[in-house]
Amino acid sequence: MPEAIVVDQVSKAFGPTLALSAVSLTVNRGESRALIGKNGAGKSTLMSILTGLSQPDSGSVQVLAEGDAGGASAVGCVYQRSTLIPAATAAENIALARFPRSRAGLIRWPEVRRQATELLAEWEYADLAGTPVEQLEPLERKVVEICRVLSQGPRVLLLDEPTAGLDRGASQRLFGHIERARARGVTIIYVSHHLHEVFEVCDSVTVLRDGRAVLTEQLTRMTVPDLVDAMVGEAAATAGGGLRAARPESARPPVLVASGVTAPKVNGVDLALRPGECVGLTGLDGAGHMQLAEVLTGQRPAEAGTVTLDGRPLPLGDIRGCIEAGIGFTPEDRHTSGYVPALSVAENATLNIMPRFANGFRLISGKKRDAFYSRLAGEWNIKAYGAAQPTEELSGGNQQKVVLARSVAADPKVLVLVNPTAGVDVSAKNSIYTTIEALRADGQAVLIVTTDDADLEVCDRVVVMVHGEVSAELRHPFTEGMIAAAVQGGGTTEPDLLPSGEEDSQ
Amino acid sequence: MSAVSPRKLSEPVAAAAPSHAARRARRSVDPVVLTLLPIIVIAVIVGAVVNPVFLTTTNIIDNIITTSAVLGVLVIAESLILIGGYFDLSLEATVGFAPMLLAVLVSSAADAGLGLPFWAGLLITIPAVLLIGLANGLMIAKMKLNAFIVTLAMLILLQGLTIGLSGGQTFAMLPKAMTYLGDGVILGLPVQAWIFVLAFAAAYVFMKFTPTGRSIYAMGGNLEAARAAGIRTTRLTIGVVVAGSLLAALAGLMLTGRIASVTANQGSGMIFTVFAAAVIGGISLNGGRGNLIGAGLGVILLGIIQNILTLSNVPSFWINAAYGAIILAALLIGWVSTQRFPGGRAAA
Repeated sequence: MPEAIVVDQVSKAFGPTLALSAVSLTVNRGESRALIGKNGAGKSTLMSILTGLSQPDSGSVQVLAEGDAGGASAVGCVYQRSTLIPAATAAENIALARFPRSRAGLIRWPEVRRQATELLAEWEYADLAGTPVEQLEPLERKVVEICRVLSQGPRVLLLDEPTAGLDRGASQRLFGHIERARARGVTIIYVSHHLHEVFEVCDSVTVLRDGRAVLTEQLTRMTVPDLVDAMVGEAAATAGGGLRAARPESARPPVLVASGVTAPKVNGVDLALRPGECVGLTGLDGAGHMQLAEVLTGQRPAEAGTVTLDGRPLPLGDIRGCIEAGIGFTPEDRHTSGYVPALSVAENATLNIMPRFANGFRLISGKKRDAFYSRLAGEWNIKAYGAAQPTEELSGGNQQKVVLARSVAADPKVLVLVNPTAGVDVSAKNSIYTTIEALRADGQAVLIVTTDDADLEVCDRVVVMVHGEVSAELRHPFTEGMIAAAVQGGGTTEPDLLPSGEEDSQ
Repeated sequence: MSAVSPRKLSEPVAAAAPSHAARRARRSVDPVVLTLLPIIVIAVIVGAVVNPVFLTTTNIIDNIITTSAVLGVLVIAESLILIGGYFDLSLEATVGFAPMLLAVLVSSAADAGLGLPFWAGLLITIPAVLLIGLANGLMIAKMKLNAFIVTLAMLILLQGLTIGLSGGQTFAMLPKAMTYLGDGVILGLPVQAWIFVLAFAAAYVFMKFTPTGRSIYAMGGNLEAARAAGIRTTRLTIGVVVAGSLLAALAGLMLTGRIASVTANQGSGMIFTVFAAAVIGGISLNGGRGNLIGAGLGVILLGIIQNILTLSNVPSFWINAAYGAIILAALLIGWVSTQRFPGGRAAA
């Protein structure tokens, strides 16, 4: 089979960090190649080089076709996050920025419609062309995005986590569409964390680890555990990874008890958390761990089930009520909901407890607040010029520490930390772990919701969710490999994707 | 809310100590105040040169401060709402509607009124104003309708109601209680001057030192973060908008008191000056930034400019054009000053 794309010895460094190191891979025409690897393995860097968004420091990418050398749109990428314009029709979204024009320079709408219908017809969605995309199902939107990319005539189609946001029935139908597109000669590079999907959609796989292509193989010769081993590496999968002995289990009764919690993407989950215990909660994108965290912190109401704190029911769906009941938490994304840029570090760190600093006139005493803040700043090792410095002037790591400090400001009984070390450097990361460990040793119950292996390493036990249900619980000594296998659904090769979209038992 | 990309500074090191001190010094005085004060000084000098009357006590107190008081109270109202991350165009219509409703209620039957006692008039007018704020607040915060269109519609509705209530006439035979805010004098100073100064001081303290005030800053600075910190943002937004309406009604009564009558178009067109004063005073249209001292200085600057234009006999046909040009100039100067000093963004 002729080659469609040849990546030859591509390297890319960001400062001292080598993101890609002499990566080579070749994909043949009509082939479907999976590209997998842990967070930080170099997938995103490789994708941006393949699509021409960034240039490699050395090495080359050649996109081949009979006769021509390939242009700028030689690799078309369908990104995980939607790039569609909600109010525009499917046809307009597909034609966007490359509208067919009349000689007078006006858009030829019938032609826009005709081209889009033709493309969509190949995916059996010809009737969608005139519908605004905001009215479409998630799967239909994904197909519109794919058609938009295909309309630019790429030699290779790069799909980044295409099933994110799709339920299992829709994923299954998408796989059918992809299969038929391949039969028409489309070459696919498929990026996903969901290893079972890879077996359904792809012929072959390339595994990235620490910026290197460590394995390229036909999938018929591989199993999910093989891929997990390749992703985490031999050493981490078996022995390494800072393996440590289990701490004796906390004997105190649980402070937080969730039973049968059901919400979108969360399906009857039970969870208990004891004082002096640090528990990790993890899963792949869309596994439901983030939604469970939102329920536990009052950011999202539950459809069914209860959560009790010290035996009293938590007012789910009421953030203020949950904070007052004794939940401290960090929001999922520091920038969108973590801090107020213009306010000082002291104000941001105490945003949830302002009335506590009121004096006799019910005015906030800056002195009281700053004294409280300096205690928090010491505890979390926040580096700022002073209590009055606007938070927007801090480095990312220190901003994150301010957000973390706020979660403990109200002396919570339970601490729920979502992505506590997202986007911070290594030294800030270690400093955050030190503080979390000190809090735990002090009797704090901590729940860390994360997909970062280093975060999970700090935990006494790790609860793994798959498809909205708790699928496994790991205790020390556990390894990265065990977690990586568990998030795939127990490490079995048995496909757990049912065409009907209903839940299967793990 | 447009996300402000946080500027990152390198971590403090020992060698940075002097600049550290300099930064602190600069932050202790608000950069907007630092920009506005020199401009005001220049304006005062220009005023004194143009007309010797400018610097007399009578001119400063009776003309500049007193005529700025109505605008000042409105700017406080709009600033609270702007800092909270929203805005309200209908404030200027409340300036006309509230006094008109009160005038119709309390004027004698001979003057086309209902002849109610003053207290009864207030008992109807205040709930009516609360209702306006509540309606705006519910639509903006609870139903998440766009503040621009909601408050624009409310503005048109209230202006229409004011004209309807007036029956096309001006109410001039007002009871003494209704004009007190215009002609009253306390300790030798006009009531309006007292209100101007005290209202700004109270609003500044409220926004700077109370948990509610700081919650408004947090909400305007990052709505999601405020919510995640347990601030009840819907309730707070409604509260802020209602407070704005009440302040606008107060401004309306002050204006009525000063001119001793209510016309059907009272307040009409003021909202543009309100926004101009707030923005010149460093209140961010994106929410969460600026303070009431700056806003107060913005009002005073506009009052001085207005006064100078009047004193220097600029033909009345040209006053608005001159006024607009000067507001633009003030905005450009403000922009230049924030470009010059890296720390020159309005402090919260």
